[in-house]
Amino acid sequence: MTRRWLSTLVFLASAPVFAQNAPRDNSWTAPRLPDGHPDLQGIWTNKTITPLERPAALGNKAFFTEEEVRAFTKTALDRGNKDQRGGGVRDVLNAYNAFWWDSGTKVLPNMRTSIVVDPPDGRIPPLTPQRQAQLQEEALAVKVRCQRPGCAIANSGQLSPADKPEELDLMTRCISFGTVVPMLPSAYNNDYQIVQGPGVVAIDTEMVHEVRRIPTDGSAHLPANVREWIGDPRGHWEGDTLVVDSTNFTGKTRRGMDQNLHLIERFTRVGPDTLLYQFTVDDPTAYTKSWSGEIPMSKTDGLLYEYACHEGNIGMRDIIVAAQADEKKAAEQAAGKK
Amino acid sequence: MIAMKRVAFAIACVGLAMGAAPAWAHHSFAAEFDANKPIKLHGVVTKMDWINPHSWIHIDVKGDDGKVVNWMIECGSPNTMFRHGLTKDSLPVGTEINVDGYLAKDGENKANGRDVTLADGRKLFLGSSNPDADK
Repeated sequence: MTRRWLSTLVFLASAPVFAQNAPRDNSWTAPRLPDGHPDLQGIWTNKTITPLERPAALGNKAFFTEEEVRAFTKTALDRGNKDQRGGGVRDVLNAYNAFWWDSGTKVLPNMRTSIVVDPPDGRIPPLTPQRQAQLQEEALAVKVRCQRPGCAIANSGQLSPADKPEELDLMTRCISFGTVVPMLPSAYNNDYQIVQGPGVVAIDTEMVHEVRRIPTDGSAHLPANVREWIGDPRGHWEGDTLVVDSTNFTGKTRRGMDQNLHLIERFTRVGPDTLLYQFTVDDPTAYTKSWSGEIPMSKTDGLLYEYACHEGNIGMRDIIVAAQADEKKAAEQAAGKK
Repeated sequence: MIAMKRVAFAIACVGLAMGAAPAWAHHSFAAEFDANKPIKLHGVVTKMDWINPHSWIHIDVKGDDGKVVNWMIECGSPNTMFRHGLTKDSLPVGTEINVDGYLAKDGENKANGRDVTLADGRKLFLGSSNPDADK
């Protein structure tokens, strides 16, 4: 294929896409609240099959064509519905079909090939050498620990300590799924309810019903020694956009990001059924450069269900009992040999 | 045309290579259930717990010795199951089901409900994602 043909193909591929990349309807004005700010209230969903990072095979191709969307969607959905059994641990760990998940059936309406929009390759920048070394050190400590009994196979497929609750990951303990830092889609429970009041905006996240209370009264961040699981958010309005600046993180909620994370988010209602969510992850001790993403969230008529994760967390109890039994059995065997 | 086919192929492979969201339960099923102990159960529903973070089906299973034992079968998140069309009326008490799963590591009568089949052959958890009817 000649370079000219290639250019034509790229142009044809891009032209309709940019039109769709602009979900803003200029003839539409967001409804206002009595304080004059746009009304962002409602239940919004970010579920999508669009990947967070652009697959390396797509290089700098930022947008799908219509035809590519059809191919990508069919393959992704077929994969989700396929029987994933392959024998052994795989059967138990992840052989569950689409009925178990609710991550949507469509790519994002902006037709982007990834949620990450910057860097231009659509991929999260590498971690800093210092952060990589920290994570490797943590992984090595786990590996050494798990040469002894009392460990279990985590969701990652790797062995992880499991003989007491404190050793289990935050998801298993129902503390946080890390889906609000930033607000990224997960396998299910991808709904968010926004409520606005005087001097405050609240976002109720269906996943583990984490609530972000965002003061918009001009107050300063908490002192640096106060750390919160999902950070300390402060909001202000820039025109019709709610800008949320979050600091004071623990560094424990999403792998990679550390306690120096500075998250900047922008919420703009660009149509009756579309809330444009943009975010920038600024964490110079964790990432070699900052990175940004974009999700046009869709309004949903559905209800936000309470995901009271502690209600019946039988699985966590079962994991601990199994790991403790494993330890006890090993100890008895060791005693028998003496 | 060849290049366009290549693009389509690349897109298809991309779909195969990665989905959008991590597809796993809130906890590791591999930590809770034993991959070396597959189990098939035939039983009658006695109760359905619509609880978070995972739902559980309780069934009475009659053993070869005629003794009836109650088993618990772990299912998905109740929110997700409800959005996929399952309701409290979907599995009334007395419904016969077959379970093809793995035994819990804690030694109790529990299994994962990866495959649950009704007496008429319908697969309970083999729903499909219809791109024309977003959930």
